[in-house]
Amino acid sequence: MTGMAQAQLALRDVTVSFGGFVAVDRLDLAVNRGELRCLIGPNGAGKTTTLDLICGRARISSGAIVFDGTEIHQLSEFEIARTGIGRKFQVPSVFRELSVRDNLEIGSSRQHGVLHNLGRFGGAADRERLERLAELVGLSDDLGKQAAQLSHGQTQWLEIALILAQDPPLILMDEPTAGMTAHETGKTAELFNTLRGKHTLIVVEHDMGFVRDIAETISVMHQGRLLAQGTADEVSDDPQVREAYLGSGGIGHA
Amino acid sequence: MDFVVSQLLTGLSLSSILLLVALGLAIIYGVTGVINLAHGEFVMLGAYCAWLLQTQLGWGLLPSLIPIFVAVALLGLAVEYLVIRHLYDRPLDTILATWGLGVMAQQIVRLLAGGELRYVQMPAALSGSVNILGATDSAYRLFVLAVALGLFALTWYVYRHTSIGLQLRAITQNRQIASSFGINAGRAYRLTFAYGAGIAGLAGALISPLKSVSPEMGTGYVVDAFMVVVVGGVQSLFGTVVSSGLLGELTGALAYLSNDTIAKALVLAAVVVIIRFRPQGLFTPRIRA
Amino acid sequence: MSNKPILQLLIYGAVCLALLLIPAFVDDAFLLNKFARYLIFGMLAVALSLSWGYAGILNLGQATTFGLGSYCMAMALKLKTVPIHTGAEGLPDFMVWNNVTELPWLWWPFQSLPFAVAAGILVPAAFAALLGWFMFGGRVAGVYSAIITLAAMVVVNLIIVDQQSYTGGFNGITDLARFEVLGISFDAYARSTYLLVAACLTVALFAALAVTRSKTGLILQAIRDQEERVRFFGYDVARYKTFVFAASAAIAGLAGMLYTIVMEFASPTFLGVPLSLSIVIWVAVGGRQSLLGAMLGALLVTGVQGSLSESETFLSTWTLVMGGLFVLIVLFMPRGLAGIVSGLRRRGTARKAAAQQSGSVGATGAPAGRTA
Repeated sequence: MTGMAQAQLALRDVTVSFGGFVAVDRLDLAVNRGELRCLIGPNGAGKTTTLDLICGRARISSGAIVFDGTEIHQLSEFEIARTGIGRKFQVPSVFRELSVRDNLEIGSSRQHGVLHNLGRFGGAADRERLERLAELVGLSDDLGKQAAQLSHGQTQWLEIALILAQDPPLILMDEPTAGMTAHETGKTAELFNTLRGKHTLIVVEHDMGFVRDIAETISVMHQGRLLAQGTADEVSDDPQVREAYLGSGGIGHA
Repeated sequence: MDFVVSQLLTGLSLSSILLLVALGLAIIYGVTGVINLAHGEFVMLGAYCAWLLQTQLGWGLLPSLIPIFVAVALLGLAVEYLVIRHLYDRPLDTILATWGLGVMAQQIVRLLAGGELRYVQMPAALSGSVNILGATDSAYRLFVLAVALGLFALTWYVYRHTSIGLQLRAITQNRQIASSFGINAGRAYRLTFAYGAGIAGLAGALISPLKSVSPEMGTGYVVDAFMVVVVGGVQSLFGTVVSSGLLGELTGALAYLSNDTIAKALVLAAVVVIIRFRPQGLFTPRIRA
Repeated sequence: MSNKPILQLLIYGAVCLALLLIPAFVDDAFLLNKFARYLIFGMLAVALSLSWGYAGILNLGQATTFGLGSYCMAMALKLKTVPIHTGAEGLPDFMVWNNVTELPWLWWPFQSLPFAVAAGILVPAAFAALLGWFMFGGRVAGVYSAIITLAAMVVVNLIIVDQQSYTGGFNGITDLARFEVLGISFDAYARSTYLLVAACLTVALFAALAVTRSKTGLILQAIRDQEERVRFFGYDVARYKTFVFAASAAIAGLAGMLYTIVMEFASPTFLGVPLSLSIVIWVAVGGRQSLLGAMLGALLVTGVQGSLSESETFLSTWTLVMGGLFVLIVLFMPRGLAGIVSGLRRRGTARKAAAQQSGSVGATGAPAGRTA
């Protein structure tokens, strides 16, 4: 934890409880700029809740969350997003009634103002950028399609593209490969590796193969706490981690 | 002293009417989550049934009550089957559909019974007045209060102490899990809706001697009933009683201090503020942040 | 409606042009007055379609802002009725009857017509902005915000009825002067008034179209679809919703002012529950997600209703039929008549696309496979 001082994102002694149930318990977590961090742990470990706390979807009971030197845990969701944090949800959430192109346009949210956006009607520069993004995630031929008509894997890709359109320094990904075929998962790993360095990524994943493909550092959570942290081999050899995963068939099947 | 008692009695009478009208709406809303904007029309139909039975068949109000309950409940059953059950996952559309149904009910009554005001006779046995602590109150108003409380007690008993009540509570908690335990949620919803409609009809019949009966009479009642439910809290039957009492007395007091119109406006404004700051109602504990 | 903005502009323009040309073929003053009324209802439908169809805010009190606009105009026109319908010192007649001795401060600025016209748009917009900020700032949405709009309307209505000495109470404000601007006099039955209404409708329709076609419009639709998701892109959802709610109110306020000119009075029934319900029905019939559809829905429904209005029984039956039709549309056709049109068109393009696809051999497989 030597990087704590210059860490881009730091959770300090964060606790949250819902009506008596402590979902995250005195969690300390620091992530450096440009890092790709994987967050794993058995079901109910508090991984998704941790992402919710960072992006403001849930509120911490005590502690602090610091991003780029400013405390963000009291800001509202949209203010947190404006500090440069993007979030992909576990259940892919895109705007199903709108076309893929419109979805991407909403994703590119550098300008947030009502009046500013009132004067914008989809300029050529935007269009080019969005088309490049669509190409990156394989949706070039579906730009005019309604998002509701996409397959599950495509919807996952679309949401990833929305986050890329938003282009935030810190990206939170909740199970990005859920429901993808092995081939699609491989492509996702490829994409994530190209994002490394340009963005900071925190990825919650169950698929250990995928995690091994992308992760430098893995943080393991258990019962709301940080159990272990290190490379893939280090954490899978950790006796505490083995203990935590006991009964769920080992870390590979979490 | 007389004055205070009579003011309290006025408020209590308003409260009992509010409770009668709101009970059905509260049950339907609490169990199925449907805001039934046609609720006022169920009340209105109950009142017209009373008028019809009295003028056409010469029935007194008291023997009419049970047939009216059954008739309006059956209508509620039909409405649920034909319209509401298609809309359980589209709450905004239920508002619209029930609003449309209300308009239809009003028009049908206007076409069949005419738009003019109708009057229903009070039961002769209850037309006297009673002396309470120096103030007088009509026996019929006290009867209405008793019926309102009785209906509440019955509903509460069914909800808390019978197997069908247990099923309803399970469905309210989690419809899917309840269904997986073999509880027929669709049937339970239908019965709830019919029961709520029946009580509304009963309320209309009981109110009819106190107010004039017209096709538009329901509009005011649905607003009042909704107000009671919002203030009392959706999941709380006791909240409904407390808020009926509170709002009835409040309206009575405000009407004495200023006038009916402003009293109504103030109470509505208060409801708006409550929806904004405590959508779960005043008398429901906050469960989860 | 479609992804072809040029085609859409052409269709909208053609409809507006047709409406503007009607006086060239209709000479009957009463008919023109009737048509002008329908067009005003069309404007109201555009206003509701903007907030309900595009942003998902079901406003059950759209008539509130309509009524506020109409009262602004009526106040100004009342003060111009010197001296026939005013009492001593230029007081409106109903104030004299209510023993008001001097003009209330609220009425003072309405001695200026330009002020009144501006107020007729800004007062409703400000009212809606305030109510919107109150609701959306507290994340009141869906059913609850619909109920608040309804309750707020009843409150405003009750206040107007109650404050008889300042508002004319139940009777409203009657016996108004004629609206005159730049030497043109707008008699309720004149061609000029019809043209004024049609021109305002055109402006309102295209302004609303511009909003929906802008990125702000896109974000509003996203909010309608999934409000919570939009926040995580950094958009202030409450501000967007408040904006569209106020914009819709501004259009309704303009419609209200025109309605006072066409009806020659203002009344508390202008901000009543029945009118609000009618607006919702017009928009549902025409199609809430199409501005033009909603407007044509209003023209269609009020037009048919107007032609039946000779007979009371007919009218009652018609209202019954409308109620039934409305329930059916809510149940089975949430996109209204416009939904049928766009559905047919989509089916057409799908068939065309299918024909092309079967022609090109080896259409692509898994989407992710195409990324490389």
